[in-house]
Amino acid sequence: MRLHELRPGTKAIVLDIEGSLKSKLLSMGLTRGAEVRVVRNAPLKDPMEVEIRGYKLSIRRAEAEKVVVKVKA
Amino acid sequence: MDLVSELALARYEKIGEIVDKCVERIEKPKTFSDLMDIVVTDKYVGVPIFLALMWAVFQFSYSVSVPFSDAINVFFSACAEWAKASIGNQQLASLVGDGIFGGWGFILVFLPPIAFVFVALAILEDSGYLPRAAFVMDRIMTKIGLQGKSFIPMLLGFGCNVPAIMATRTIEEEVDRKITIMVNPLMSCSARLPVYMLFAGVFFEKIAGAVITFMYLLGIALAAVMATLLRKFVFRGKASPLLMELPPYTVPAPKVVLVNAWNKVLIFLKKASTVLFAGALIMWFLTTHPWSATNGGEIVGKSYASLIGHAVAPLIKPMGLDWTAGVALVGGVMAKEIVIGTLGMVYGVGEKSVANVIPKHFTPASALAMMTITLIYVPCLATLGVLRSELGSWKWTAFVVAYELVLAYVVALVVYNVFSLI
Repeated sequence: MRLHELRPGTKAIVLDIEGSLKSKLLSMGLTRGAEVRVVRNAPLKDPMEVEIRGYKLSIRRAEAEKVVVKVKA
Repeated sequence: MDLVSELALARYEKIGEIVDKCVERIEKPKTFSDLMDIVVTDKYVGVPIFLALMWAVFQFSYSVSVPFSDAINVFFSACAEWAKASIGNQQLASLVGDGIFGGWGFILVFLPPIAFVFVALAILEDSGYLPRAAFVMDRIMTKIGLQGKSFIPMLLGFGCNVPAIMATRTIEEEVDRKITIMVNPLMSCSARLPVYMLFAGVFFEKIAGAVITFMYLLGIALAAVMATLLRKFVFRGKASPLLMELPPYTVPAPKVVLVNAWNKVLIFLKKASTVLFAGALIMWFLTTHPWSATNGGEIVGKSYASLIGHAVAPLIKPMGLDWTAGVALVGGVMAKEIVIGTLGMVYGVGEKSVANVIPKHFTPASALAMMTITLIYVPCLATLGVLRSELGSWKWTAFVVAYELVLAYVVALVVYNVFSLI
């Protein structure tokens, strides 16, 4: 699954990052094995707010689409 | 696995180790910040709350600062009068009074709105709300070639483009920031309103309000079109993702807020004022020389500024404008406030009676063209100064002036011809 497909409240584990923004996303803490939680969508659904490594990050859907995740049961 | 990922992973493992040793986390079900965010980023009330806050910021910045700007204006006018009365040589008196004191007064009236804008913005920023504002507005703004953080600078442009352009420093993404700066002058600042009011009032009496609204909307539409075009053709292929932290809310520290505002005032004084002052002196020279022919700046019609007005007259003739409009527009390069005053001087009737004379020189269609040009053509000197200091190069500044001149010409021509058909 991809990060942008997750509904608010869902927790997931980062598996991989694709595309040209890889290093940028990695530096923000979206590394393999890190836990992310979708907090909410913006009023117009884009961008989305995720919690990672104890902080809140705003990320556009276009970028979230590059983050491969596995939903945590 | 590739090297970049491994490095990032290793780095974060190390960070985790250190953090675990020295940070104790208290699990709270919902922090104050969480509760705030539930409200301010809500699907229904998030945008209204944002707009209400922006209205407050706008009023605070531009209404509260007015008495301070007025005081500065009065002070420098008095200095100018005093200089002109006490210096024997007329030409020197004019230089010191109108050129130097006038020029400095002109620069310093920008300080109060700048200070107030940045007090308001620093409060928003320091409290942690600013990233939420970008979060809420991002979707709408990306539709028109900008991004969430562009909204506030664009809105501030309706007051004055000077602090508005300086406010783009909150945009970290280089391309987004440049585009926001470059289209900002298209937001109708408060100095352009009197020009709209004069022409709309005289030529469109009953629908003056609608015509003025049209000018504001035209500016917004052109900014959207230009931002999209700039992104597509000038800054093509450069991605600018919006990855930003939404930090916990804090109570703004008064010292941080004041220091921030003070720094912005200093930046304006250091970087923009040199361009401004030089420009003010040039404008003084153009409107008062040749000295004997203009009778010491009394007869604007004989000045170099008027020569330039005459020179552009053939260019603006296709949209029904004559040389008097040309001279007024040359004056407007200094500041849009001056357009009406210059018309008054050219017609020799003073600012108050301009409304009675303009029907002789304009038609409803050419009045619309005049308003359109005033909206789009070259930014005022002060805006030019901050464009230079914020874009960091004369090349980009010249680019902005060039595209605005071309755009003003084309749009005014279209407006004139379309309206003439009706």
